[in-house]
Amino acid sequence: MAQHACELSFLSRSDGSALYSIGLNVALASVNGPGDVKVSNRLYNRSHLEVCYSPSTGHSMIRERALESVIMRTVEQAILVHLHPRTAINITIQEMQSDGLALSASVNAACMALLDAGIQMKTTFAAVTCCITPSGTVIIDPTEAEIQESVAEATFVFESSGEASVLTAHQDGRLSYEDFKKCLHHCQVASKDVFAFYRRMTEKKYQNEIES
Amino acid sequence: MSYLSHREMLGGLESVRVVLPGDEVMSYNPDSSGGSIFLGPGLRWEDGMVRAAKAGLLKKTSRHLYFVDTHQKRYIPQRREYVIGIVTKKKGDIYKIDIGGSEQATISFLSFENASKKTRRDLALGDLIYGQLIVANKHMEPEMVCIDAYDRAMGMGVLPAGGVMFNVSLQVAREIINPDCPFLLTLSKKVKYTVVVGMNGRVWVKAAHQNSMVALMNCILMLEYMTPDEANEKALKLLEALM
Repeated sequence: MAQHACELSFLSRSDGSALYSIGLNVALASVNGPGDVKVSNRLYNRSHLEVCYSPSTGHSMIRERALESVIMRTVEQAILVHLHPRTAINITIQEMQSDGLALSASVNAACMALLDAGIQMKTTFAAVTCCITPSGTVIIDPTEAEIQESVAEATFVFESSGEASVLTAHQDGRLSYEDFKKCLHHCQVASKDVFAFYRRMTEKKYQNEIES
Repeated sequence: MSYLSHREMLGGLESVRVVLPGDEVMSYNPDSSGGSIFLGPGLRWEDGMVRAAKAGLLKKTSRHLYFVDTHQKRYIPQRREYVIGIVTKKKGDIYKIDIGGSEQATISFLSFENASKKTRRDLALGDLIYGQLIVANKHMEPEMVCIDAYDRAMGMGVLPAGGVMFNVSLQVAREIINPDCPFLLTLSKKVKYTVVVGMNGRVWVKAAHQNSMVALMNCILMLEYMTPDEANEKALKLLEALM
């Protein structure tokens, strides 16, 4: 599994922000909210969520819209939207560096930024990407080169409860049912490390207060 | 000079551990015997289990009140909190006040000391108001007043001109108004000043000279990055350097 690193409250003007890296993939997430919302987006019983994904080079196109949609569906399941009716929560993700794991890095950055902003959530969530080689080996957190050589790639987002249920599954390529289950199992095991990393980062943030 | 231990300072408040959203704090069944517990901000009770809803330090008071202390910047209006607001609009008999939340608060022209239908205190746009929220929940827009239940101002009202207002994180605002925290008193050894702290993370400072006000502002902003004890030691040195 690749090395995870994160810096919280990276941006001074956002309510919450996180610079998150998995290996050579780096994503910067910024969360603002719950704040004011346009009348057209105002919902009487819940908060309006908006995700904006910016690629490192070029304009936002279909691929970015698809990523925004996956991230939005994931985040919607975790945030307690009914606590903030008639507000909007904006999540902006800037892709800084990409080596194949843009989705995982973005989802994890979004989770850390939400924790930094203090928005109430049901659970934390962690994304793990794996790919399966022609010989049937599962590689967790592959590089772009490894993904190009692989038969299929899958990203799973898990929630933090004991059973690590799946919040989102995104897959590219052909996977047999057994291979899919194998990937899911490997990713589930790897997600425990990601949750442990989140806990270490949070403990680091509150370190001053614990020590004094 | 030694300060009271952290636990004594906070009057029976104890830090339990760092929690993340979804963490199980304890299982609680209202039917089972045993005393009742009180859940403060950041905790939810669902299906017999108390879980954390925010990332932060789980704290417990001696009277079984549990809550999660989160370091955050965004203010969510809460009833009975004292906040500093900025007047943004006048709509007939009410003013719209920006308190840093998702919606603007309203205040009636009658909610000031000695105000009546004939004598009214006219507020200009951009004025700073220190008041208390009497209505603040997710269903309604917040409402503020500058009088208490007996129609007395009690320090609330329009803040005088000539001060400077700045934003701090919510936990810094809570820290400096804690009666056990000597930080503001330490600053007063070097400078004579007036300070008003809003629970919405806004602090207003007024002193005789502009450079003193800037120095005080920077001292309070130091608390974002260090513990109150460390800041206490460095505060006087910083004031001397900046004034």
